Amino acid sequence: MFEFLLNPMYQTWIVQGLILTIEITLFGILLGLGLGTLLAIGDIYGKKPVKAAIAVYVEFFRGSPLFVQLFLAVYTVPAILNIQIDHAFLAFLVFGLNSAGYQKGYMKGAMETILGDQMQAGLSVGMSKIQTLRHVILPQAYRIVIPSWTNEFCSLTKSTATLSFVGFLDLVGAGRSILINNMQILPVWIVIGIIYFVWITCFSKAMDVVYEKKKIPGVELIMQ
Amino acid sequence: MEARHVYKTYGSKSDKEPKKADTNTCVDTKSVIEAVKDVSLQIRKGDIKLIFGPSGSGKSTFLRCMAMLDIPDKGEIYLGDECLVEPGVDLNKARARIGFVFQHIYLFRHLTALGNVELALRQVFKLPKDEARKRALDALTEVKVTDCINKYPSQMSGGQAQRVGIARALARNPDIILLDEPTSALDPELTGEVIDTLRDLAREGTTMLIVSHEMPFAREVAEEMIFYDEGTIVETGPPSLFFNAPNTDRAKKFMTRIINRTTREEMNV
Repeated sequence: MFEFLLNPMYQTWIVQGLILTIEITLFGILLGLGLGTLLAIGDIYGKKPVKAAIAVYVEFFRGSPLFVQLFLAVYTVPAILNIQIDHAFLAFLVFGLNSAGYQKGYMKGAMETILGDQMQAGLSVGMSKIQTLRHVILPQAYRIVIPSWTNEFCSLTKSTATLSFVGFLDLVGAGRSILINNMQILPVWIVIGIIYFVWITCFSKAMDVVYEKKKIPGVELIMQ
Repeated sequence: MEARHVYKTYGSKSDKEPKKADTNTCVDTKSVIEAVKDVSLQIRKGDIKLIFGPSGSGKSTFLRCMAMLDIPDKGEIYLGDECLVEPGVDLNKARARIGFVFQHIYLFRHLTALGNVELALRQVFKLPKDEARKRALDALTEVKVTDCINKYPSQMSGGQAQRVGIARALARNPDIILLDEPTSALDPELTGEVIDTLRDLAREGTTMLIVSHEMPFAREVAEEMIFYDEGTIVETGPPSLFFNAPNTDRAKKFMTRIINRTTREEMNV
């Protein structure tokens, strides 16, 4: 039933697919974290037009299917602009921008529970707002946000399955390519599913360890 | 340091938008609260002055205006010769010269006692690591909390945490330290250790403006007491005035209430 796993060509596809899935997820989630942080700060401190622009951004990326965003980025936008851009780079951008839409919410929530007294304290010792954000607010917010961030990682990893529909050989792409050759639907998807499961489980367990290691007594999400 | 005719109002009239993220002050959007109305106060090097009065009368707001943590609507705040309300003044630099101790302590939660005191020395004063550490340790020794230098705020008692808060304000040798009810959020049995620390500072000639209702302490260290009510200074004078015969009825009533309370507490202990 699982003989196809012995085929060297299939093995290569699966390994390549896994690597692409991991790469795009990791780069995407990191871009999302950086941009999500900036969006959260902009949403808290920005003037009205900035806030409105951020709201439009977030609603666009959360409100439309990822597949549509990916399709637009890979085919439509380069065609309209008449330029050639590396597809993998575009895919990475889409996942990063999309993830930023969600991560902005997590970061803003975490920051708002911290800002009240901690910003005051930072200003009172002579630090600027930016210094306080950097040395006081963000170190606490990132610690608080790790569990939500792990969730985001799990869901983003599985979202990368859409990559195969715009021509990438990710994990699902590898599965589809194998299927074209051997038509063993159930065994192939079981194998692909297990690979996702193992990768996601390992990564989230690792993040749990990071969370515990970085944990500081007194710095946690205050449920109100 | 000096405040000249300072006004500060909360509510719909002056605030276009309450800045919830920055200020922890109650903002009543329906009515306008005049927390500070035409308040002037001068404090010279080495002075110790104490502000007291009913809760909700605006004492804290006035103190926060002095530190420019709240920006006054009107009036001037002088630190030395520099007027802090002028446009273009570097408020961060000014705040670095003013120590502030909060009622609810507000230590940096993700840093140890040492980290709390070091942070500004490193980031604002750009001291090298070992020098910042040395000065932080000195300050923590001065307030006698060397046993918890590596503890996080949540692992300290309220009294320890507040003394770390004082060390944080003290470490950079500020021109003045403003203390906003430094003992009122603490359990009664912990106020003593904080008061002892303040007494030490007073002995060393630290310039302080303290909002407090610790009357025995006030009588001992304050050169001047300021009775503050309904957003303004009602009466000013040496402790002997207030403890014997205040001139205004309001101060008289308040002193009676607070002295009764203090005696009651002492009898209970």
